[in-house]
Amino acid sequence: MRTIVDLISGGADIGRTRVFWIGFGVIVLLFLLYPTQASAFRVSNVSFYLLNIPLGLGMALLWGYCGVLSFGHVAYFGIAGYIYGIIAGNMSENTLGPLAGVAGGLLASAIVAGIFGYFVFYARVQKWIIPILTLVLTLLLETFLGQTAGYQWRIGSVLLGGYNGMTGIPWFRLGGFVFEGYSFFYLCVVVVLACYFGLRMLVNSNFGQVIVAIREDELRTELLGYDIRARQWVVFVISAMLAGLSGLLYVQWGNYITPSQVGLLQAVLPVIWTAVGGTTSLLAVVISAFALNWVTFTLSSQGNQYAMVIIGALLVVTMLFFPRGIIVMVAEWLGRLIARRAPSSQP
Amino acid sequence: MTKRRENQPLQTDDGIQQDTSAVQRSDDSTPGIRRRDFLTGTAATITAATVLPHIRSAKAQSSGPIKIGHIEDLSGNLAVYGVQKYHGAQLAVKEINEGKMLKGGPVGSGGVGLMSNFAASPPIMGAGDKDLKYVADGGKLTGSGMAFVEDKDVLVDSGESGLLGREVELLAPDGQSNNNIWQQLTRKLILEDEVDCLVAGFTSAEREAIRPIVDQHKQLYFYTNQYEGGVADSNTFCTGAIVEQQVIPVVDYMIQKFGPRVYTIAADYNFGQLTAAWTKAFAPLVGGEIVEEEFVPLSVSDFTTSIARIQAAKPDWVFTLLVGTNQSNYYPQAAAAGLEYPMASTVNMAQGYEHRRFKPPSLNRMYNCVNYIEEIPTVRNRAFVKRWYAMFPDDPYIGQMAQNTYFSIHLYAMAVRLAGTTDQETVKKALESGLSIEAPEGAVFLEPSTHHCSHYIRLATADADHNVSFVREWPSIQPWWLQRVGVNLVRNKEYKQYIPDEDPFFAMFSKS
Amino acid sequence: MDVLPLALSLLYQFMTGAAFFFLAAVGLVIILGMMNIINLAHGELMMIGAYTATITYHAGVPFWLSVILSFFVVAAFGAVLELLIVRRFYGRELGALVVTWGVSLVLGQGTLLFFGPFMPSIKIPGGSFSYGVFSYSAYWLILVLISLLLVLGLWWLYNRTPYGLQAKATMQNAEMAKSLGVRTSRIYTLTFSLGAGLAGLSGALMAPTLTIAPFMGQQFIVPAFITVVVGGTANVIAGAVASSAFLAAVKTPIGMAFGAFSGTVALLLAALIIIRIMPDGISASLQKFFNRRAGRTAQ
Repeated sequence: MRTIVDLISGGADIGRTRVFWIGFGVIVLLFLLYPTQASAFRVSNVSFYLLNIPLGLGMALLWGYCGVLSFGHVAYFGIAGYIYGIIAGNMSENTLGPLAGVAGGLLASAIVAGIFGYFVFYARVQKWIIPILTLVLTLLLETFLGQTAGYQWRIGSVLLGGYNGMTGIPWFRLGGFVFEGYSFFYLCVVVVLACYFGLRMLVNSNFGQVIVAIREDELRTELLGYDIRARQWVVFVISAMLAGLSGLLYVQWGNYITPSQVGLLQAVLPVIWTAVGGTTSLLAVVISAFALNWVTFTLSSQGNQYAMVIIGALLVVTMLFFPRGIIVMVAEWLGRLIARRAPSSQP
Repeated sequence: MTKRRENQPLQTDDGIQQDTSAVQRSDDSTPGIRRRDFLTGTAATITAATVLPHIRSAKAQSSGPIKIGHIEDLSGNLAVYGVQKYHGAQLAVKEINEGKMLKGGPVGSGGVGLMSNFAASPPIMGAGDKDLKYVADGGKLTGSGMAFVEDKDVLVDSGESGLLGREVELLAPDGQSNNNIWQQLTRKLILEDEVDCLVAGFTSAEREAIRPIVDQHKQLYFYTNQYEGGVADSNTFCTGAIVEQQVIPVVDYMIQKFGPRVYTIAADYNFGQLTAAWTKAFAPLVGGEIVEEEFVPLSVSDFTTSIARIQAAKPDWVFTLLVGTNQSNYYPQAAAAGLEYPMASTVNMAQGYEHRRFKPPSLNRMYNCVNYIEEIPTVRNRAFVKRWYAMFPDDPYIGQMAQNTYFSIHLYAMAVRLAGTTDQETVKKALESGLSIEAPEGAVFLEPSTHHCSHYIRLATADADHNVSFVREWPSIQPWWLQRVGVNLVRNKEYKQYIPDEDPFFAMFSKS
Repeated sequence: MDVLPLALSLLYQFMTGAAFFFLAAVGLVIILGMMNIINLAHGELMMIGAYTATITYHAGVPFWLSVILSFFVVAAFGAVLELLIVRRFYGRELGALVVTWGVSLVLGQGTLLFFGPFMPSIKIPGGSFSYGVFSYSAYWLILVLISLLLVLGLWWLYNRTPYGLQAKATMQNAEMAKSLGVRTSRIYTLTFSLGAGLAGLSGALMAPTLTIAPFMGQQFIVPAFITVVVGGTANVIAGAVASSAFLAAVKTPIGMAFGAFSGTVALLLAALIIIRIMPDGISASLQKFFNRRAGRTAQ
């Protein structure tokens, strides 16, 4: 049985040296101190960049480590968000309402993913069809949610709201403590760190190594006696719950969710973060999800009409010159640089 | 009751321990977050949460430019409409800074009016209209009828450059047709730029995305788009036309002129569904009958099946509530299929200028009830159109919503001058004083209790050559639905959107 | 209601629906079906075709000529795209997905910035005719005919020309083809260019029935991808035809009875079911069926 330290410092993700961990710690500290220096608005922005990270992590796990691209993964983001809104909205008097909402949201994402994953993996659908299938599903969800505008589309006392979306989603509370503003920011930081380290341990464990083997060669892994369908299914459900976690955080951030969150434009985003960061590293996706969201917002807040052109061009350039992802390749380059400079230091 | 020291569990009489301090409970299971950091964070949170709001309100700006925040989609799918509204805002701000303003004031509904002055000599009235005589502008009797002199100068000098002696600055970031970015931008404008007024929103989804943020910070907010109606929000002023001003007049006219059988084809989202619900409830009251309702998802662009269904249903006229670039394909396709039913709409022509984009006779026999359309022939509108194209010569069209944004900003300037300050609560009160403004469409009255505007409504029609003419006018239609529902924002503060299902009238009198 | 006019109307809707799916997918069929490039810029290629047709038409060129011109313009553009970008992504399907999405963003937004939000549209050629209570646009029948011609043309191209033989060989086994003297890089460029040109052609053909706006290509992405996936890659052309027919057969009666929304939902659900039952697409199942009938073992 490997210890936690072993699991965290395993080789399945970039960054294992002491230098790396010191740098990591510094950055975490900077994040923790950020609210003391920044206005409420900027903190809210950074919270938004942070809350999308679990979605990216789920994507990286599923695609990078397991080789399955779920193009419509945002469906689970949306399902969790809507379910939370329904449950917490109906139980708004009850202090346990938000907790029930969180549990309900995660459970809903897991169940839908479980059913879908069962059909996909146990039928051994071809790999390249999965992105299209998941995309079709999320668009179906978007179309359905978009036409729930009328009064008849309400569950309990909560209106689904159609294209206008569900508004007035209650804040998440623990007891009497409401997570909004700065406390929400810290909640995001905690969640991101928990997800990252949890996943890092997962990919370094025995289970994670089998997953990577499945990605490399399914037939060989199966011939070695592993039930690849079950493992793919588990990974799929876990990554769907991560997407759901992002969805839950999102409805806290804006108290609001619309069908466009599960639409085509949103569906492509996690794919882009993962591709640009590098599919083979969790940390790379963390960085790229944060950075790309930051770039998008900065461009739009300046009224720059070229924002989309710039992002599109950035994508093309990245895929052309950094095929394994910018962060991953930079990390490789850094690793080579350090090894060259100090060949005697431990890797 | 035992006295408890800080951070100690509370011992109640029945012995149940209650730990009132969640802080002490943090454990070290997540690496990277230690107890000390958590405490620091919590302390910072509490400090910030209590102190920050006060800091913001204490910094009331009384010098420097007056900032109007304006969020629209300048890229992405809705850029087509967003850019027009942006230009409307820019034109208004430029005019204010150059010392111009639109006529008007707290004079109640009707204002000065479109036709402001009677002719120099009073008309002589007799029994029946045949005896009415008129006089031309100071001239002699030449015929029968009534004549008015058109009001010429609605854009007058304000007597100062800028507003309250300060320059007006327009902050206009791009919403990128993305609701999340809208929310971020709204927070930025309110919290960081501290705008004195926010003008934003095309779709209802965008408005509903930012309205909670607006309400949280009590930001003065203008929503200048036509929409499905029902927003009763103390911080929000809706200056676009709403259902009772557009749907009811046109449905009434069409039923009388073409017949009672109506086929409704609507976009399948809130606006389409709610408008169709209104039509369905209202049509029977004026003798109409909705033979079929069809809701089309926003992504559909091929209408072959819908066209066949319309033909199978054999209505007298078709009510088209189609929104977006995909759905406007209906018009050329229907024309090519030889569909010749008269059509009515409240959203097309005046916004997406289909009559300019599609070849005739796609929009033949289209009737559209609008508060503004570029082709309005009045003198004041021709002057406005000229000013617009002088500033934006490459623009393809001036849409309804662009005019709404334009006069809304002038309305804000009027309210600020009345209030004498930019303090938002005072300006909101000034906006509730019964303001009337001479917009390019005509006199617009901001109704105090509903925060909505009464509009000058015209029924425009396009013929086989896509020439626009006007068949009827309603100089002032009040936003009466919210009043019937019982909204009075001057008395009671509210922050919600009403939907027709909450109005018992619809069930009471409908015959379905 | 009389049965005959209704039946005729349903037949017309079915044919035009199938033509719509086929035309939306034909470019993608070549690029995704044959070359395995997930081309998210497919919609934008169709958009470029539509814009080319619109601009040349309003410059005075006769409509049919501008359609043909669009084919060549977009084919040339496709060739450039392949040479500069796409050729680095063979074998990297998901990389191709991302890079083509980037290209589509640049093209879409760039068109908006360059050409503005709308272009004036082209009048739909041909008149209308009616039977019973229904009336129809003649133009769509012309498009059905053109789709059939395209099917025949593509079949002829891939089964009766040297290019077709070389292309099929390259797609099956590039190394072997290269060692037999086939210039595989040129085949790749030509094939991608053909796929792009076909997308542009479709865009131009459908342009009169559409709004000419920068993001008009987005409406074709889902129908095109579904058609290709349901059709399968065993025999891309037959698959595309079968798939278009199937999807139209599902959408038409349900749409006629219940409205556009139900038609769309039924379509998406039917696609899901087909993918579940026949994971390799209709064409693979058809091929197995015909092989079995001919007594050969399944491929």
